[in-house]
Amino acid sequence: MKAKQYGMTIDIDRCTGCGACMVACAVENNVPPVPEGANDRKGITWIRVFPINNGAEWPGRQSAFVPVLCQQCGEHTPCVSVCPQQAVQVDPATGIVGQMPERCLGCRYCMAACPYHARYFNWWDPSWPAGMEKALNPDVAPRMRGVVEKCNFCHGRWHAAKQRAAARGQQEIDPADYVPACVEACPTGAIEFGDLNDSQSTVARTAGEDHSFRLLEKLGTDPKIHYRSKRDWVRRVAAAPGKEEAHG
Amino acid sequence: MKATRRDLFKFAAGGAAGLALTPMPWRLVTDTALWSENWPGIPRPARGEIRTRFTHCALCPAGCPVKARCVGDQPVSLRGLAGRPLCAFGLTGHHLPYHANRVSRGDPEGAAQAVRAALSRRGANESVAVLDLRPGRTASWTYRRAMGALPGGLYLAAQSGLPAIDLRAAKTILSFGVPVLDGWGTPANVLAARAQFRLIEAEAVESHTAMLADEWLPLREGSQDALASGIRHILTAGAAGIPSGEAAERSGLPEATIVAVAQELARGDAVVLAREETDAVTELNRMLGGRAIVRRREAPAPFHWTRTAAPVTRFDAVPDQSIRALLIDESVSDGYFPWDAVERKLAPEATVVVFASSRAGYGAHAGFVLPAAVYPEIADDIPAAIDSTAATFRLAVPLVEAPATVVNPTRFVAELAGVDAGDALRERANAIEQSGRGTVLSYTDSRSTPLRDIKADAFWKILHEGGCWEDEARDQSPGEPRASAPAVVAMTWEMRMARGPLSPLVTKLYQESNLRVRT
Repeated sequence: MKAKQYGMTIDIDRCTGCGACMVACAVENNVPPVPEGANDRKGITWIRVFPINNGAEWPGRQSAFVPVLCQQCGEHTPCVSVCPQQAVQVDPATGIVGQMPERCLGCRYCMAACPYHARYFNWWDPSWPAGMEKALNPDVAPRMRGVVEKCNFCHGRWHAAKQRAAARGQQEIDPADYVPACVEACPTGAIEFGDLNDSQSTVARTAGEDHSFRLLEKLGTDPKIHYRSKRDWVRRVAAAPGKEEAHG
Repeated sequence: MKATRRDLFKFAAGGAAGLALTPMPWRLVTDTALWSENWPGIPRPARGEIRTRFTHCALCPAGCPVKARCVGDQPVSLRGLAGRPLCAFGLTGHHLPYHANRVSRGDPEGAAQAVRAALSRRGANESVAVLDLRPGRTASWTYRRAMGALPGGLYLAAQSGLPAIDLRAAKTILSFGVPVLDGWGTPANVLAARAQFRLIEAEAVESHTAMLADEWLPLREGSQDALASGIRHILTAGAAGIPSGEAAERSGLPEATIVAVAQELARGDAVVLAREETDAVTELNRMLGGRAIVRRREAPAPFHWTRTAAPVTRFDAVPDQSIRALLIDESVSDGYFPWDAVERKLAPEATVVVFASSRAGYGAHAGFVLPAAVYPEIADDIPAAIDSTAATFRLAVPLVEAPATVVNPTRFVAELAGVDAGDALRERANAIEQSGRGTVLSYTDSRSTPLRDIKADAFWKILHEGGCWEDEARDQSPGEPRASAPAVVAMTWEMRMARGPLSPLVTKLYQESNLRVRT
C-alpha cells in the first residue's frame, strides 16, 4: 500500500473569516471552552483564523483572513525534534504529525519550537457546562490538564474511515469517507483536503498552482498546508509576517 | 575492584542527579497531580449506537438543513448538507440546552394572573399586545388569532411584510451596515450569487462584510441618511435630497466617491439594504426600482385562522403609554426594538411578560421571565429568509427533550385568550398540502417531489424527517420598497453574541482568538 501524504490547500481569497472551521474543529475534537478570564494565549484553537491587512489606510486598505493550523511539517519537524518524551511522531503511512497526550509531560518545548504557534497547552482540566458532556464526540477522548495538543487532521475520522473500509473488505479508505471537520464546515469551500501524493487529487493539483505558497517556506520544514492567494501583499505577509502588516 | 560504602553513596547521588535530568520526575509530578485530584477530571463521552437525524436550524431565518449525528437520541454533532453549510452558531446549536446561564424557573401562574388583572383594569384606549420577534411562523398566526380574540389585542411584529430580495437579479448592492457576507439572509444563496453582484458596504467600522466587500465606504457614524439623500440628489438631478457636497461633509466621504456610487447605482438593477431602514433608504430604493426587490407569497394558512387573526400593527403606530400588558416572545428573535422604544409604549405600571431562555435581552426589564425552550428542543417552523423569493415551510424538529419547567409561549398566549392552539403546525401543513402548490424536498433520500403527488400524512412525515416545502416559482412581481418599523434593529453577529444564548465554544471566536469582537 502506497504511503499517503495528507495535506490541505487553503484559498485565502475565498476565506470570509466566519470562524465555522474553528468551531467545527472544537466540536469534533472535544476541545473545551476556556474558563472566564482566559485570553487568546491560553485558549485552545487547533485552527485559528487571523485577520490581516496590507497596512494601508482607506481607500487603499485591503484585508484578508488566514486560517492557521498545524502545518504537518514533513522535514525536520521541529516539534518532533525537541520532544523529550517522543510524544510527537510523524506517521509514515499518512504524513500526519501525531501528538500522544499520554506521553506528553507538558514541558512545552514543542510549543516554543513550532514556528507556526499551532500548538496549545491545556492549562485547565477540560470542563463543559453541566450536562454538555453528553454532547461530546464519542470518537475522541478529551485531553487532560498539563499536556499539549494540536491539529491532527481529525484523526478520529481517519480511524472511522479505516473501519468503514475494513467493513467493506478494502485496505484503502475512500477519500469521501475521510474529510476533516474544518473542510466539511467551510461554507465557501476555501479549504480542500486530500493526498498530496495522489496526482489525481484536487489538493495535489491546486497545491502546485500559481499563487500557491506555504507559510515560512524558507525554514525548510516542508509543511503540508498550501495556501493560495492572487494578492501579492498576502503572499508577502505569509513569507515573513511583520507587526506593521499583520494583526490578530 | 572493591566497592566501598563511599562508592555506594556516590552511585546513589549520581543516580539521583541523573534522574532529575530525565523527564521522569516531571512526568511523575504531573501524574501524581492527576491521580490525586478529587474532582471528576476528564469527562468520558457517552458511547452507543450512532444514528443520523435531519432537521432545520432555527437560530435564524436561513433555516439551513441540518444533519445531526446522534449517539442514541443525543446529538453529538451537527453539520450542514452539501451546498448548505452551517455557520458557527448552527454548528453548536446542540449545546444551547446546556447553557450555564439559562433561565430555568419562572412563575407561569403568577404571570397569567398578572396579565388577566391587567386586562381587567385596562383603560378604554389601552391595549394588550404580543411582540413577536420572529414573525411569519405558525406561532405568529396563533398570536394573531389570540390577539384577535382579546378585546384591545394588538399583534406587533418586527419586519413583517417586507418584500424579499432576489440576489440573482441584483448587479449592485449598496449596504448600510448590513452584514451581507456575514450571516445575512441565507448564506448559501449569498455565496452562490456573490460573483454576480458588486457590493458597496457603507459602514463606519471595518466589519467582516466591509473587509470582504468590493468597496468599503467608511462613513461617519449616523450619517447613513445623509449619504442616501446625497445619492438621491445626484440621481434626481437636484430635484430631491441634499447636495452631494453637504452629504460629503456630513458623511466624511469625498464628494467624488459619492458621485461615483450614485453613477454605479444608476446603471440599473441596484438595491439598497440598511440595518436600520429609514425613509431616506426606502425612497432611494423606490427611485432605483431594481428588479431585486420582489413580492413573496406567504405559505398558505387555514382559512379560519386568516378570518379571526388580528392585523399586524406597526410598532411605531402604537400610541405612547397605551400598552397595559405586553407579552414578548424572545425565544427566537431576528431583530429587536431597543428597550427605550418599547418602554415608551407601555402604560404606567404595565405588566411585561417575556418568554426567553436567557436574561440577556428584555428579561432584564420584565416583571415575569418565563423559561422558553431553545433550539433543538421544540418543534417550530422557520419563516422564509429575506433573500428567499418563494415561500417555504420547514420544521425545526426537536432533537433533545426540553426541561419540564419550560413554558410554551404560544400555548400560554392561546390559553389566555381562550383560543384553541391545538396542533397548529399540523393544521398549517394540511392547509399547504390542500393548496397542492410547490415541491417537497426530502433530505433522507435527496428527492424532490411535487406536493400534489404526496398525501397529507406522507407530507407531514417528510416534514418531520427534516423535509422542506418550497412554493412554486412564479413570475416575480416587483415589491414595493417599504421600511420596517423604524426602531427595529436587525441582528448582526455581534448582537447575537451579545444577546445570546450561545454555545460556550463560541469563545473560540472572540475570547480565545481575535477573530471577532464581542460588544
